[in-house]
Amino acid sequence: MTDLVVSDLHQVQEAVRDATEDRKRLEVRCTGTKRHLGRATSYDAILDVSSMAGIVDYQPEELVLTLRAGTPMNVVETALAEARQMLPFEPPSMTRILGEAMPGVRGTIGGVIAANLSGPRRLTAGAARDYLLGFEAVSGRAELFKSGGKVMKNVTGYDLSKLMCGSFGTLGVMDEITLKTLPVPETSCSLVVGTESLAAATQQIATIFASPHEPGAAAILPRKIAAAEGVDAGAAFTIVVRLEGIEASVEDRIGHLMTMMKGERLPEKSSVALWRRIRDVQPLAEKPCDIWKVSCAPSDAAQVVAAIDPRLECQYMADWAGGLIWIAGNSPRIGPALRKVVATLDSGFAMLVRDVSVTREKVAPFQPLEGAHLELHKRVKSSFDPLGVLNYERMHEGV
Amino acid sequence: MLMPDPDQAVIDRRDEICAGLKAILPAESVIDSRESMKAFDSDGLSAYRQLPLAVALPETVEQIAAVMKFCRKEGVKVVPRGAGTSLSGGALPLADSVLLGLGKFNRILEVDYANRCVVAQPGVTNLAITHAVQADGFYYAPDPSSQIACSVGGNVAENSGGVHCLKYGLTTNNLLGVEIVTIDGEILRFGGKHLDAGDYDLLGVMTGSEGLLGVVSEVTLRILQKPATARALLVGFDDTGAAGKAVGDIIAGGIIPAGMEMMDGLAINAAEDFANAGYPREAAALLIIELDGPEVEVDALIARVEKIVRKAGATSVRVSQSEEERNLFWAGRKSAFPAVGRISPDYLCMDGTIPRRRLPDMMRRMASLSQQYGLRVANVFHAGDGNLHPLILFDANQPGELERAEEFGADILRSCVEMGGVLTGEHGVGVEKRDLMNIQFSEDDLKQQQRLKCAFDPGHLLNPGKVFPNLHRCAELGRLHVHKGKMPHPDLPRF
Repeated sequence: MTDLVVSDLHQVQEAVRDATEDRKRLEVRCTGTKRHLGRATSYDAILDVSSMAGIVDYQPEELVLTLRAGTPMNVVETALAEARQMLPFEPPSMTRILGEAMPGVRGTIGGVIAANLSGPRRLTAGAARDYLLGFEAVSGRAELFKSGGKVMKNVTGYDLSKLMCGSFGTLGVMDEITLKTLPVPETSCSLVVGTESLAAATQQIATIFASPHEPGAAAILPRKIAAAEGVDAGAAFTIVVRLEGIEASVEDRIGHLMTMMKGERLPEKSSVALWRRIRDVQPLAEKPCDIWKVSCAPSDAAQVVAAIDPRLECQYMADWAGGLIWIAGNSPRIGPALRKVVATLDSGFAMLVRDVSVTREKVAPFQPLEGAHLELHKRVKSSFDPLGVLNYERMHEGV
Repeated sequence: MLMPDPDQAVIDRRDEICAGLKAILPAESVIDSRESMKAFDSDGLSAYRQLPLAVALPETVEQIAAVMKFCRKEGVKVVPRGAGTSLSGGALPLADSVLLGLGKFNRILEVDYANRCVVAQPGVTNLAITHAVQADGFYYAPDPSSQIACSVGGNVAENSGGVHCLKYGLTTNNLLGVEIVTIDGEILRFGGKHLDAGDYDLLGVMTGSEGLLGVVSEVTLRILQKPATARALLVGFDDTGAAGKAVGDIIAGGIIPAGMEMMDGLAINAAEDFANAGYPREAAALLIIELDGPEVEVDALIARVEKIVRKAGATSVRVSQSEEERNLFWAGRKSAFPAVGRISPDYLCMDGTIPRRRLPDMMRRMASLSQQYGLRVANVFHAGDGNLHPLILFDANQPGELERAEEFGADILRSCVEMGGVLTGEHGVGVEKRDLMNIQFSEDDLKQQQRLKCAFDPGHLLNPGKVFPNLHRCAELGRLHVHKGKMPHPDLPRF
């Protein structure tokens, strides 16, 4: 396989034009940290976009950051930290579960956007898709196009930024992107509460969210994981709820919540470390297992977990108040059980994130689409990339 | 503003089409008399009026689907309409279209506190969502100024904002799911009570698509716990540049207020005449800054903001001491439009966004345009996110003034784009800004957007004549020129 190294969108246009004319399919790749997300497909050439990197313009007091998609995450984070700002959706690093493609490389902002990856704060602050204000890209038709803008409030034309987020490079090759940033909260800490069941845990979190004490993130750890993470609350499950803000506010809120929920306080330093591990799915990462993620309504968490045969000895943990469940185990029965239960719910999906015992050649990583939904996805793909030049079938067969 | 040429063949078949609709819908759900259709001939952009062929008012999603299938089969255009409050003409009928009104979809279907969301029909008003949950301490955050009347389905179509967007986001950031009906009559769900799409984010694409991609038949909205307290500051400046700098300093200080509004001298005085809110009449710029959250937090941040604005050169600072006083601060701002309506027979409300640091340049540009056109302009401004609402004052009874006001408005929007901003921050493109789209977008940008339209509506039957200045046929847009040999992958659909 050849590597086509490109350094700007005009070169991308040329490469894509050549590919359409030579009937070639391209894999759009930067540092490759998320290559193992999605379907295993083969391509005729790699379009290496890693040199389209660097910060173009950052105006902290405007809350706007314009940068090239290939900018490494550590560069992004350093620039933000200097201005005491952040990407509010708390992008996770996938290297803990997917492994490092290159030593020390944590992926790029383009990869985070293409996979729409968001961490614990997604529950209250929104996802990657909520912070992409605009972009420039080359479509599978080799046309340069842009959408959105560099300002915070904009409804001019269709919101293609939303579509680019989570499209896994199947619609266009992005170069310049503009993101909304926010100030880093001055301090944080967590409330730790023990509870006896997963259903009780999601209910208790709902109680906390019905209070005016502004919880920002909420995870549920089964006892074994809670113990390993040093937050065993002496019950079958530990609820961890993060509070962020100015010190006076955090102090006030944690005080109220500790009384209200009969919980303990996890101080800032331990809280930051724990949430980083939850963000990166680290508690489930070490053992070589398949890892599934289920996105569901928070109150459906117990039903999802109950669908997995306990004899399979899966480990799991939940974030987003129960709305994001990570499941680790080694059985071909896990996937079908999850897909079956998700189909009975009002909404949600199950995705195979890491394949160890089952393989993504045999198991569809994305929840399969059917009927009118699949047809619409094909037409949307085709409207950007009629010949299937870019990351063809990375998400779904025929898309 | 030219709308697409009506299809005379369709207009000639009006009786047949009305009969067809009556065969699908109960008799009272089809309106076809000229007098009764008058109520639907315009939306919030009332300078434009047009009677449709007929008005269909379905009551069930199956009826919507049946109307859509019928219109698709008959080649009849469909213009969806929520409450008809669009400020950009998004619901303006076409002479050869069926106007599809969603007014009968007025029920809240579910309040789900466990998952912090409300499932509602599209015709429910924005404010009714908050009313349904406020007794339990919750509210729905997006608050467009028409919230008492505008519908949540229309909010999705326009991606409506409000004064609290900086902290709480627009509709798109508070919408979890939709059910839509396509022009083929297919009923599809995007999103739901779970958080992430998992596939292409078609929920995100539907939001703000101005009724061109599908008809929203149900919404799932995120609700939030109401903040424990809210307090506001009323800050006067003798210079808009200083006010703009204060806004930047507050954000640079790590503070994201719930709302941060600016008004210029003309708007301040018009609002004060109307609402007696105690605004400083002599100020050149006024900021209303609202902070919300736990009481200790609000008190601490009010003190910080006060320090910042004084340092930035504030000439007057008042901090609300009660809920009553806070509401009074807002009363002037919220009545700014009717207040300006009192000092001028007519006004045009514009809606562009600029990078906030360009505010002083923009104010200078507007002053010079105001002189050039001989028309006054009052400015109301969502300062936190750079969204401008210049109100151009004119008298429609004076020959040529409307056209001059429209030209003035177009020049303001051109300036927004030149300064790195965009044509519309929250009102939508509709017909109003349609012909300005190529200032902001290249031909290829617009073609790509229209190709997406073709993926949903290949016959351009849904709300045509809005958003895009030139309508290209889908077959033409889909064409791809490949030079060497044949088209590869002949199995792929290419619409």
